Amino acid sequence: MIDDGPEPLPPLLSVNKLSVSFRVGSGLNLPVIDTADFDLEAQGSLGLVGESGSGKTMLCRALIGTLARHGAVINGGSVSFAGKPITNLGESEWRKLRGHQIGYVPQSSMAGLNPILTIKSQLSEVVKDSIGGSEFDVRREVLELLERVRIPRPTAVMRSRPHQLSGGMRQRVIIAAAIAQRPKLLIADEPTTALDVTVQSEILALINELREELGMALLLVSHDLAVIEEMCSLMAVMYAGATVEVGPTEDLISSPNHPYTRALNTSRTDRARPGEVLESIPGDAVSVGHWPNGCRFWPRCPIAEQDCQDGLQPDLLAIQQRASACIHSDRMGVAA
Amino acid sequence: MNNTLLECRDITVRFGRGSEAFDAVSDASVKVVENEAIGIVGESGSGKTTLARVLVGLQTPDQGDVLLENKFLDSGEHTEGISQSDRWKVQMVFQDPYSSLNPMLAGKNAVAEAIQVWTRCSKSKAMNEAIELLGDVGIPPDQASQLPGKLSGGQRQRVSVARALAPRPKVLIADEPTSSIDQSAQAQLLNLLRRLQEERKLAIIFISHDLNLIRYLTSRVYVMQKGDIVEHGPTERVFLTPSHPYTQTLIQSIPGSKSDTIQIIGNSEV
Repeated sequence: MIDDGPEPLPPLLSVNKLSVSFRVGSGLNLPVIDTADFDLEAQGSLGLVGESGSGKTMLCRALIGTLARHGAVINGGSVSFAGKPITNLGESEWRKLRGHQIGYVPQSSMAGLNPILTIKSQLSEVVKDSIGGSEFDVRREVLELLERVRIPRPTAVMRSRPHQLSGGMRQRVIIAAAIAQRPKLLIADEPTTALDVTVQSEILALINELREELGMALLLVSHDLAVIEEMCSLMAVMYAGATVEVGPTEDLISSPNHPYTRALNTSRTDRARPGEVLESIPGDAVSVGHWPNGCRFWPRCPIAEQDCQDGLQPDLLAIQQRASACIHSDRMGVAA
Repeated sequence: MNNTLLECRDITVRFGRGSEAFDAVSDASVKVVENEAIGIVGESGSGKTTLARVLVGLQTPDQGDVLLENKFLDSGEHTEGISQSDRWKVQMVFQDPYSSLNPMLAGKNAVAEAIQVWTRCSKSKAMNEAIELLGDVGIPPDQASQLPGKLSGGQRQRVSVARALAPRPKVLIADEPTSSIDQSAQAQLLNLLRRLQEERKLAIIFISHDLNLIRYLTSRVYVMQKGDIVEHGPTERVFLTPSHPYTQTLIQSIPGSKSDTIQIIGNSEV
């Protein structure tokens, strides 16, 4: 074998035909992801887009090993992190990974913090894990963390409890906890959904600065395409549990290869001319347990044909850097 | 201008007492004319919802007047004003359809109830009208018979719109109508509201923190910060040349605004 370059590194995170189901009774499974498929390079950034019920949050849970707590299991495909499979890890192995190698910022800043403990004691717990050491060292490390996430007056914030902080400050504390161990991957699930637009832009800027400082890869879950466009070079679109299109964000937005991606673009208010009718997607998103046969988008799809309605959800078909699950993606340009 | 439908003048709403008192809204004046869509934008705590509640009559202001069709809404001071029974002319669509609809009442019953209250017609007539109204907002009869829990967020919000339309109001106040629903459902709802505005010559007041939505839907906008209206004017003017520093900050904070918002808006064919 001729090999004149270094072996290409495996991606930092590789999600390979992953299926996840809820356990709903003896031997019965309710599929919630089927299937998710994408890679994320070290220090790269990928935005995960989709509507509620599309499986974004369950996918995050699969990536931080908390599916079991939510009554779900991986029942197909694989996930690997830094070249090693993490599909079937036990809780003790997850403890070494979660928070250390993979940081997680949940959707609601209230859910991520204990309401009755001070910020100092919550962050101390996290840093003790890694540095052990004296009370003095721990305190210094916590202070440093708060400074790193640009919290003004960190000593006062250390003594506060979550309800005494604003939503933006709480989210900074959550981010501080997530990056305490300098993870290689940060997963942020709708980190700015509940925040005001000015605070949102500060938090997004902070995440970008921290990524650069710490060399972290970012998996950002959002329903807001404008946010993904600003933050992520790659994008994966999910619909009814399946990744239907993956590729460079710019390309997916300027020339989508899946009708659902295109519909998400054309229904954006920030891209419409004032007064113009928004091109909306007819009908409603299909919920878990009610997926149709064939391509799951066909009942709402403007270019669907008879052959879209048969068989299983089509796999992603890769063309160069991009992949689409639409079997008629060649007609995307012609369709109205 | 005498085609002003709804107007408030120098409204102040004070919460708390003594040293803890603060003005949730101070000296705010807003007006809307027939068939006009206006926006009130601001961040949480800016007072926009409180102002909306004053406009719809759910909150009594500490100072200032509300005028409906150039007549004072009756408060203690203006007993010559129009009576409570004219209140149907202003209706509100609330932020969260999960809590604004009765979970034990099917959509058509919720709408029929509102029709009956306002028109005092027979139950069967109200039910027929309700089904027609729900059809108009895109809820077919089979969905209209479902309890809210069986509907998606977007469908539920359309039921709330139908309920608000039941008394055939002249002004609709929509408080963050899309914040709890998905993007594809949002587009459907916004198209619906725009169509209703045209067909029914409705005046609509959109309350939102979403600047893109306000820009897309409204022709005039009021910007609120900490209870004050800091800037108002034609929406495009305010977005392109904001004069108040707070408005400038808000507009710069829109995701993507640093790079190419204006260019994209001029070139929206994808």
